[in-house]
Amino acid sequence: MSGNAALRFAPGDRVRIIDLGKPGHVRTPTYAREKVGIIDRYCGEFENPEERAYGRVGRERIPLYRVRLMQCDLWPDYQGGSADTLVLEIYHHWLRPA
Amino acid sequence: MVERLITDIGGLPAGAVPREEVAQLFWEKHMMAMFNVLRDKGVLNLDEFRRAVEAMPADAYRRSSFYGRRLDAIADLLVEKGLIDRRELAARTDEIVRAGTRDHVR
Amino acid sequence: MSVDHRGHDHEHHRDQAQGHAHDPHPTREDDDVALSEGEAKFLALKSLLIEKGVLTADEIRRRQETNDRGTPHQGARMVAKAWVDPAFKARMLADGKAAAIELGIEVTEAELAVIENTPERHNLIVCTLCSCYPRSLLGEPPAWYVSKAYRSRAVREPRQVLREFGLSFPESVEVRVHDSNADLRYIVLPMRPVGTEELGEAELAALVSRDCLVGTALPGLLG
Repeated sequence: MSGNAALRFAPGDRVRIIDLGKPGHVRTPTYAREKVGIIDRYCGEFENPEERAYGRVGRERIPLYRVRLMQCDLWPDYQGGSADTLVLEIYHHWLRPA
Repeated sequence: MVERLITDIGGLPAGAVPREEVAQLFWEKHMMAMFNVLRDKGVLNLDEFRRAVEAMPADAYRRSSFYGRRLDAIADLLVEKGLIDRRELAARTDEIVRAGTRDHVR
Repeated sequence: MSVDHRGHDHEHHRDQAQGHAHDPHPTREDDDVALSEGEAKFLALKSLLIEKGVLTADEIRRRQETNDRGTPHQGARMVAKAWVDPAFKARMLADGKAAAIELGIEVTEAELAVIENTPERHNLIVCTLCSCYPRSLLGEPPAWYVSKAYRSRAVREPRQVLREFGLSFPESVEVRVHDSNADLRYIVLPMRPVGTEELGEAELAALVSRDCLVGTALPGLLG
């Protein structure tokens, strides 16, 4: 998968952050799962923390993206501006086109 | 449904942000340096460390202090990797507590 | 479990913290502090690792000296230079790590992302999952940044959290929260305050506190 340009997201793409239902160490916060946002930018490729956390280092690097979400989409009771946003870093395998 | 990690607290209800500036103690600074050295040497990595923090019992996590938590996670990892033995760590800790001084240790 | 017995004699440094823009993260000398269980456990762990040849006391000491170079002033210097030098600012926004190196600051994190405040947008940094923070640049984060309350609430109710820090923005300004949850580390590039046109870089840097770089303060404002 690494280096396959056809699978890469571009800034502005609508994506869903899925819940992989994966036990153990993951870096996708629950609050962002099953939410739809926009790719803010591609950050490059990094080793998967889900592998490194168990001593499996030096493995395949995977794409990391910054994903931007509207706060009013994240929280039903959001108290703030309607333009307010949140941006976080999501690894490729947690994303699907939306 | 997979249980939420104990560290996965974004969005959960909480009280006022504690604003008090808390000075870092010398041993805490020293521990961070030791942690960095262990990472640089490849003894452990940051992701393993985070995983060790997440494996703490929920109650211990909630009652823990920031540096106390880090220390426990580092020790747990080193035990897991067979580099230290939990009993020898406890014994050495007791010795130091009983001596009540840090003079000879550094 | 290591319990923090340090509940005793905190001084309230709040006013000082806001006034002293770039004191390095204060470390209490521990000679006057009784040996806690946490410290004893750390000393035990360290001595065992040294005995077993895993590391040396010298290596720890050297790394601590390197770590001590991280202070908020380094971040303030970068901001001040960005304010006076538009080309540097562009380079800093494109690659914060490379920009830091230009100023002789060694950033060791994988990437330093610099996020610019504008009249339309105010930025706030948090690490909900742990305490990710650009330590090689700024030193240790403040206690509030690693607190469970900040980590929980900054993503969900940033404006309420900002009000606790004395900041509020009209609804027409977008508040953008950045959760530093993976490989990047962040600082905010605040806007240059009005009326500072005559100030040089060093004076400008003095206006930029640690909290300005996280998004919970604005430069040049005290209290």
